[in-house]
Amino acid sequence: MSFLRYYLWVAPHVVLGFVLLTSLQKRLHKELPVFCVFTVFEILRFVLLFAVSRLVTDSSIGVYLWFLTSTAAIDAALQLAVVYELTQKLIFSRTSLGGTLRPVFMWTVAGLVLLAAATSGSLRDISREKIGNGFEILDFSSGLVEVGILVALFLFSRVLRISWRSRATGVALGFGVSACIDLAAAALRSGLGRSVFIAVDITQMASFHVSVVIWLIYLLLPDRAPVFVGHGFEKSDIQFWDQELQRMTER
Amino acid sequence: MILAAAFVVLSFLALVLILHFAKGHHVKGGDLDQLASQLRSVDVAAFRNLIDEGEEQYLRDHLPQGEFRSIQRERKLAAIEYIRCAANNAAILLRLAEAARENPDPAVTQAADKLFDNALRLRLYSFRVVPRLYAGVLLPGLSLVPTGFADSYDTLSRQVVMLGLQYPTRGISSAL
Repeated sequence: MSFLRYYLWVAPHVVLGFVLLTSLQKRLHKELPVFCVFTVFEILRFVLLFAVSRLVTDSSIGVYLWFLTSTAAIDAALQLAVVYELTQKLIFSRTSLGGTLRPVFMWTVAGLVLLAAATSGSLRDISREKIGNGFEILDFSSGLVEVGILVALFLFSRVLRISWRSRATGVALGFGVSACIDLAAAALRSGLGRSVFIAVDITQMASFHVSVVIWLIYLLLPDRAPVFVGHGFEKSDIQFWDQELQRMTER
Repeated sequence: MILAAAFVVLSFLALVLILHFAKGHHVKGGDLDQLASQLRSVDVAAFRNLIDEGEEQYLRDHLPQGEFRSIQRERKLAAIEYIRCAANNAAILLRLAEAARENPDPAVTQAADKLFDNALRLRLYSFRVVPRLYAGVLLPGLSLVPTGFADSYDTLSRQVVMLGLQYPTRGISSAL
C-alpha cells in the first residue's frame, strides 16, 4: 500500500515533467501559456511538499497542512485560469461574437460560485485543525466550479458545433477527469469521514496520473485540425455561383 | 451525507458527459460534397409568411376563435421545423467555414470568418426562438413573433454565395 501511494505521488509528477518538456518542444507555451505555468507550478509544489513531508514529524503535521493548503489555493486559481484560457482559445477568440457569448459564460461561473459557496458551508468538518477544513472547502469549491465550467465548455461547443484541435481537447479532457474525481473525493471525505481518507487519496492521485498521461498522449500525437476533402474550384462552379448570387440578391 | 452522495453522483455524471463530448469533439472534418448533400432546403419567403404579424392578424380577424388557434398551432410547428432546418444548415456551414479558413487566400478567409460568425449567430438565435415558438404552440392567442430570424438566414445565404464565388462550396447555396 505504501509503495502504491508513493508511486501515485511521484510518478504523475515525473510524467508531468515530460509533459512540460514536450509542451516547450511543441511550442504549446505560445498557444496555452497558463497551462505551461500550471505544469511548472505543479512540479515545484510536488518538490516542496515532498521535501516538507520528509522533515515534519507527527507533532508538526500542521506545518505540512499549512503548505498543502496555501499551495492548493494557488493550484486551484491556476487550474481555473487554464480552463478560462481554454474557453478563450476555443470559443471567444474564434468568433467576433465573443461579446455575446462571454456573458453566458460569466453567468455560468457566477452561478457555480454561488452554488459552491452555498454547499461548501454544509460540508462536515474532516479535521480537528482549521487549516485541514479550509483545505477541504477549497478543494470542494474549486472542483465544483472547474467541473461546471468544463461541462459548460464542452456542452456549448457541442451545441454550437464548434470543433477543437486535438491538443486543446486533450488538455480539457485531462482537467475534466481530475476535476470530476477531485469533486467526488471532496464530497466522499466530508460524507464518510476518516475511514475513507486513504482510499479517496489513492483514487484522487490515480485520477491525476490518468490526467497527466492523457496530456502526454495528446501532446505526442500530431495536433490535427479538421481535414476536409472535396472538389477543387472549377470554372463551372464560378458560373454556377454567379447565377446563385444573382438569384439570391434579387429576392 | 445526502449532499455528499448527490455530489458524488453529479461528479460521475459530469465525467461521463465530458468523456462523451470529448469523443464527439475529436477533430471533425468531412467531405464537402457529402456535407452539401446533408443540407435541407429552407424557403425563407414561406417562413416569413408563417411568422408574419399581419398574416396572423388577418387570420385572427377572419377565422372563428377555435379554428384560428388550431391553425396558429400548425403554423408555429411549421415555423419550428423551418428553424430546425436552418440551424442544421448553419451547423454544416460552420464546418464549411472552418475548411475555408485554412485557405491561403485572405479574401476567402475573410468571407469564411463572416460566414462562421453568422452561422454561429443563427444557431444561437435558433436556441432563443424555438422556446418562444413552443410557447406560441401552447398559447396560440399570444403574439410571439421571432423577428430577425429570416433576415439572419438571408444574410447567411448571401454569404455562402459570396464564399462560393471564391471557394468550392458546390451545391450548398442551392440547398439554402
